[in-house]
Amino acid sequence: MTAWRLERRLDADARSAAIARIAGAVLAFVVAGIILWFTGRNPLRIFWDGLDAVIGGRSGIEGTTLRAVPILMTAVAVALSLRMKIWNIGSDGQFLVGALAALGVGIHVDGPGWLVLLVMAVVAALAGALWILVPALARAYWDVNEIITTLLLNFVAVQLVAWAALGFWRDEGSAVTQSTERVPYVLAALPGTDQLTIAVLVPFLLAFTLFWVFRSTTIGYEIDMIGGNPRAAAFAGIDVRRRIVVVMLVTGGIAGLGGMLQLSAPGAQAMTSGFSAQFGLSGFIVAALAGGAFLGVLAGGFFIASLFFAGLVLQTKGLSVFIIFGIYGIILTGIALGEVAARYRLVRVEPEPGPGPPEAAPSPTPEPSEEVPA
Amino acid sequence: MGAANAIEARAVSKTFGGVSALDRVDYELAWGEVHALLGENGAGKTTLSNVFAGIYRADAGEVLVDGASVDLRSPADSIAAGIGMVHQHFRLVEPMTVAENLHLGSPETPRLVDQRSLVRRSEALMDDIGLHVDPTAHIWQLSIGEQQRVEILRVLARGARVLILDEPTAVLTATETAELFGVVRGLVEGGRSVIFISHKLNEVLQVSDRITVLRDGRRVTTRGAAGATARELARLMTGEERELAVQRRAVGGAAVLELHGVSAVNGRGLPALHDVDLTVRSGEIVGLAGVSGNGQTELAEVIEAMRPTTSGSVVVDGEPVRAGSVRAVIDHGVGHIPEDRIGVGMVASAPVKDNAVLRCYWSDPEVSSGIRLRRAGVLAFAQRVVDAARVQTRSVHATAGQMSGGNQQRLVARREAMVADRVLLAAHPTRGLDVNAAQEVRSSIIDRRDAGCAVLLVSDDLDEVIEMSDRIAVIYEGRIMDVVDADEVDRERIGLLMGGHEVPA
Repeated sequence: MTAWRLERRLDADARSAAIARIAGAVLAFVVAGIILWFTGRNPLRIFWDGLDAVIGGRSGIEGTTLRAVPILMTAVAVALSLRMKIWNIGSDGQFLVGALAALGVGIHVDGPGWLVLLVMAVVAALAGALWILVPALARAYWDVNEIITTLLLNFVAVQLVAWAALGFWRDEGSAVTQSTERVPYVLAALPGTDQLTIAVLVPFLLAFTLFWVFRSTTIGYEIDMIGGNPRAAAFAGIDVRRRIVVVMLVTGGIAGLGGMLQLSAPGAQAMTSGFSAQFGLSGFIVAALAGGAFLGVLAGGFFIASLFFAGLVLQTKGLSVFIIFGIYGIILTGIALGEVAARYRLVRVEPEPGPGPPEAAPSPTPEPSEEVPA
Repeated sequence: MGAANAIEARAVSKTFGGVSALDRVDYELAWGEVHALLGENGAGKTTLSNVFAGIYRADAGEVLVDGASVDLRSPADSIAAGIGMVHQHFRLVEPMTVAENLHLGSPETPRLVDQRSLVRRSEALMDDIGLHVDPTAHIWQLSIGEQQRVEILRVLARGARVLILDEPTAVLTATETAELFGVVRGLVEGGRSVIFISHKLNEVLQVSDRITVLRDGRRVTTRGAAGATARELARLMTGEERELAVQRRAVGGAAVLELHGVSAVNGRGLPALHDVDLTVRSGEIVGLAGVSGNGQTELAEVIEAMRPTTSGSVVVDGEPVRAGSVRAVIDHGVGHIPEDRIGVGMVASAPVKDNAVLRCYWSDPEVSSGIRLRRAGVLAFAQRVVDAARVQTRSVHATAGQMSGGNQQRLVARREAMVADRVLLAAHPTRGLDVNAAQEVRSSIIDRRDAGCAVLLVSDDLDEVIEMSDRIAVIYEGRIMDVVDADEVDRERIGLLMGGHEVPA
C-alpha cells in the first residue's frame, strides 16, 4: 500500500514560496467570487470594477500609491524586526507618535521649508524609536514579551494623539473640533504626478537598502543569526542584547518616519484621532506574509493598498463595506495558507519493510535522555 | 520458587539504527526491593527502563510483570501494569498547583473539579503514601527536591507498584538526596519495588538491595549490594582497557591555557565549579573525564568567556580572559566544539555557508572586510570546510538543520579546528558519530595538537579520554578530583574518581 504524506521542508526556496502565495491569493479570489455569486452579485463585474479602479487610470495608480506609502513604511519596520524574530506589533503607535512629534516641530518652528521638514523627519524617527525604547530594553534585558508591550503602547499613542487634537495642540479656529493645528510645510511633489510627493521614494529606498544590508553585510548576517539561534549568535561573540535594542529602535524609527511622511502630504498637515487607518496592522500583515523579505514587502504593500483603494471605489458604487472587509479577509487568509503550504511538500510513503517500532528512528545515540544539562 | 518477581526481563534486545543499545539483557526485580541499574552513559540503563515504561518496545526478548508475560506498547500500558517512571526532566506544569498536577490527566480525576476537593484528595493520597508536599503550592515555588516528590506522588497516584527513578539524584543537593533515599526505603518497606538508575557508586551502594551492572548494552553482573565495594563496581562499569592507538608525544610546551581557582555557578545559580586549577600546555591533550553534568559545560563556557567566574581567573597565553569578551577569545585562537552542537554550535535554520563562517566572518579577510561580506569568499570558505570535513550536503546553500547530526558535528568540529590556533576545547566531539567519522574527528584533533595547540578534551567516554589524552583530569560535582599522566593511568581508579570517590594515588 502506497500512501501520500505531507512532509515539512526546512528550506522553501523563494520561487516556490512566491508561487504558493500567488496561488493562495488566486484561490481566495475564486472563493470570494463564489460567495459573491451566491449573494446574487456578479463577481466578475465587481472584480473588474475593482481592477479598473486601481490600474485603469492615473488617478487610480496614484491613489493606490498614496495609500501604499504608510503601509510600506510600517511593513518595512516590522519586516526588519521579524528578521530577528522580534514581533513589533506597535508600529501603529510608533507611526502616530512620529507624526505627532513632527507636527510639534512643524507648528512651532519657523524656517526654510526643506530644513524644517528635515528636522521633522529626524524628530519623527527619534520619537518612534523612543516609543519602542522601553519594550526594547525590557525584551533584551528581562525577556519581557515584546508582543504585549509594543501592542499596548499603541493604545497609549492613540490617546496621546486624541489629547493633542482636543487639547494642547488643538486648532481653535478649525471647524473640525478634533483637529490639531496645521503644519504649513509640505513635501515637494513628485515630478509628473498630481497627488504624490517625494515621500513615495522613501520606503523604496529603505527596502532596497535593507535588502542590500542583509545580503552583503555582516550587520545583516548577525541579525539573521540572532533570529535563527540567539545562543549560537552569542557563541559567535555577538552582543545579542545590544543588537536587539538597536534593531528595535531602528524599526520604531522607521515607523515614526512613516508618520512624518503621512503628515507632510499636501492636504494632510494636521492630525485627528483617526490619523492612522490602522496602517501598522496592515503593515504587520504585509511583513508577516512576506516572511521578512524586504522586496516581498514592497510587492505585498502595493497589493494590500490596491485592495483598499479598490474597496474604496467599490463602496462609492454601492458595495457594502462589510462585503469588502469580508473579501479582504478571504484574500489575506488565502495568501497566509499559501505561505504555510510552501513549507510542505507531498511525498510518497513506501510501506515499512518490517514491524519496526516507529520510535526507533530519531535517536542518533542509544541513550539520549542520559545527558544532564546542568 | 517463591513469589513471582515484580518485573522480569528475559533476553531483552533493542537496537537503534544498527547500534545495539541492549543485547539479550536479563533482569529481575523482586517485590519489596531496590534494584539498581549501574553503568556509564550509553550502557543501556535508560533504554532498559524505557522498555519497562512502555516508551520503547523491545526488538526481542520478553518482559514479565508479576509473573505474567506482557506486551508494553505504550506508557499507558505500563501504567496499567503498575509501572511508573520518574524521568530526569520533570513533566510538571509549572504555573499549576501540586494538587492540580497530581490530578492532571488521571482517569480518576472527577469531571467537575474544584480546588478544595482536589486538595482534599491530594492530602488523602499523601497520607496514604506517607510523602508530603503542600498541595496548594504552585510547582514553580517548589525546590527541585520537592518537585521530584510531586513527580513520585503523581506516578504512585496512578497505582504504580514499581517505581523507576532515572538518575534521580542528578539534580539534587546532598540533603535532598538523603531525603529521597528515606522516601525510597519507605516505599519498598511498604511492599513496592524501585528500579534505581545511577552512575554514582556511593549512592547505589547506599540505597540498593541488589545491583545490576550494564556495559555497552550487556549485563555484566547482578549481585547483592551487601559486601560490594565501589572499586569493584567501578572496574565492572568501565571494563577492560582497550589498546592505545594514539601516538603520544613528549610534552614540553609552554602553558597556554591556565585556570586558577576558578569557581562559577550554572544557569540556575547553583554552584557548578569549585576552585578549579587546571593547566593545558602547548602540544598537549588534557582529557577531562567525568559523567555529564558535573561542571564540564560550565568549565568550557568559562574558558570561552560566555560565563562569568565567581572567583579565580582563566588565562590564555598569559592574558586573563574577561567575561563577555567572547570575540576577543575567538580572535586569540580559542576554538570550541560545544557539547550542544545544535543549540549552541550552529544556526539550524540558516544555510550551511552561514554556519561555516559563524566564528570567523568578522576577521577572515576572505570572508568579509569587517562590515562588507564577500559573498564569493563565504562560498569558497564554506566549500573548503565542507570538503575537508567530508560533510555530506546537497550544497552549501542547503539549510544546516537538514543535514544529519553526524554531518552537523563534522561541520562544527572542522570549523572550530580552523579557529583553534592556540586552544581547542572539544566537548564530546565524537558523540553520535559512527566509527569512521569519529576517527576522522579524532585525527583532526590530533592534528591540532601536533600543530602546537593546547587541547582540552571533555568526554564521558573513558576509552576515548584514555586513548587520546596525554594527561587526564577527573571532574566530579565541579571539582577536579585529580590529574594523572595517561601513561600511569589506572582505569579503575579513574572510574572511582568519576563516581565521586576520593582515592589516594
